[in-house]
Amino acid sequence: MTEFFTAWWQYGFMRNAFLAVMIITPLFGLLGTMIVNRKMAFFSDALGHSALTGIAVGVVLGVTDTNLSMVVFAVIFALLLNKISSKSTASTDTIISVFSSCSVAVGLAILSKGGNFSKYSSLLVGDILSITRREIVYLIVIFAVTLIFWAVAFNKLNAVSMHRTLARSRHIPAALLENLFAVLIALIVMLSIKWVGILIINALLILPAASSRNLAVNMREYHFFSILFSMFSGILGLIISYFTNVATGPMIIIVASVIYFVTFAYQKAMHGN
Amino acid sequence: MKNKYVFVTVMLAVLLFLSVGLTKIYVNHEEENKSEEYTVVTSFYPMYIAALNIVGDCENVKLENLSEPQTGCLHDYQLTPADMQLLSTADAFVINGGGIESFLGEVAEQYPDLKIIDASERVDLLEDNAHAWMSITDYMVQIETITEGLSELDAEDAGTFLANAESYLNKLQGLKAQADEVKQFTEGQNVVIFHEAYEYVAEEYGMNVSYGMDLDEERQVSAGEVAEVVRQVKEGGVKVILAEELYGKDMGDTVESETDAKVCYLDALVRGEYEADSYLNAMQNNITLLKEAFADEKDY
Repeated sequence: MTEFFTAWWQYGFMRNAFLAVMIITPLFGLLGTMIVNRKMAFFSDALGHSALTGIAVGVVLGVTDTNLSMVVFAVIFALLLNKISSKSTASTDTIISVFSSCSVAVGLAILSKGGNFSKYSSLLVGDILSITRREIVYLIVIFAVTLIFWAVAFNKLNAVSMHRTLARSRHIPAALLENLFAVLIALIVMLSIKWVGILIINALLILPAASSRNLAVNMREYHFFSILFSMFSGILGLIISYFTNVATGPMIIIVASVIYFVTFAYQKAMHGN
Repeated sequence: MKNKYVFVTVMLAVLLFLSVGLTKIYVNHEEENKSEEYTVVTSFYPMYIAALNIVGDCENVKLENLSEPQTGCLHDYQLTPADMQLLSTADAFVINGGGIESFLGEVAEQYPDLKIIDASERVDLLEDNAHAWMSITDYMVQIETITEGLSELDAEDAGTFLANAESYLNKLQGLKAQADEVKQFTEGQNVVIFHEAYEYVAEEYGMNVSYGMDLDEERQVSAGEVAEVVRQVKEGGVKVILAEELYGKDMGDTVESETDAKVCYLDALVRGEYEADSYLNAMQNNITLLKEAFADEKDY
């Protein structure tokens, strides 16, 4: 049993990955609560897909650190999405879908030029070796920023998502808060997408919060369970993936899914509907 | 109310124990499948062929190559998790050395106990250029170095290694003799090369490299460079250009149409069939090509 928790510690890349999981999963749990509440699951999914375009743009421009182009692109993409979905009359999910597939198409077109897509295929399922010291520093910064944002703005943001007009009448800057929130999601998704993988990163945002919703009766519980489930599945998934030679991202999601189904069953059994 | 917390604790605990248990069963199962073989891992193609000839059909030794980059040479190659795991099972790691394995620092950090055999230890490498296997003479030294290294680490099979290496070295000696015959045509000739690796060819055949450029997968050539090559070829009286087919073809065609020089497409031996005789066959081919290229020139 102890071997399960210690055998992998000798490897530098596992220590880096462990650190990254310890920092990123609480953030996913935290932001997930609001994403689920505001029914933004599709939004964050589209955001994840835009990573492909971000990298492609970086490759075209010859940027050495594609992290940078990815983050910049995702932030622009998120703001644009917010803006258009608040203006347009077409329903939001249609707009997000258009944006998402358009950006994926552009990304694929550029990256697959010359038959070289295989170089980037690790992006789809994630590559744990891509976590470096530098990325961990980025993650710590974003961790601090998110905590501050949450402490200052959570109540206001929550008010906006419950009743926008009412919130406005209380002088809450709704648009600004929504944009900041979108930018935060963009940053966190981009910084973890290389090791979690484009195909599944959204699940990591949604599943812990969704499981938590099955159990929680107030905001405090909602946050607590979400963060707990997120960290638990992150750490357990990482360790299992080490021993079973499976990609880490998918393993974390599998654990998170199991938690979701169990809590779902519990909720059904307790409340009957 | 309290029920919920109890439920969550129980759920997480059960999940934890289940996964620890299942993983343990899985890992033990994996380990049973592993035999007591001595595992040798090689860094890339020419080293794999070298080791393959030394190990031969020795039953106690398992020979593996790192997963290959699709592009041939190892520059900028990044290790995959599969590579890391392969190396964690390795008893010896055979590398070409001289900086081609840019990931070596990472490997040494992760597996400080891994025995690394540097094939170029006793080869006089050219500056910033470690493609030593392209010279038959240097390659033979590499074979000797790898054989010694492996014999030291796996003393039980040392006899087999030595015998295999000897017969391989004999075949290489035959190649070398052929190369020396060709040398009478090539000695002192000026050549232009389109791949670093051919500096070793030039060295072995006594040719002077009047201009070298390194064309590979990531390299984009500017118009100015093309002009420079053409100028060098004309001024230096260069008759033959040594290039690699895959990346040097476009440039080769251009230079061939602009000047009288002939482009000789040699095999740089960074990819090919995973068979013991691959090196011998490819080198034989290279010798024939060089002979044709230079011997023809003499007739004019």
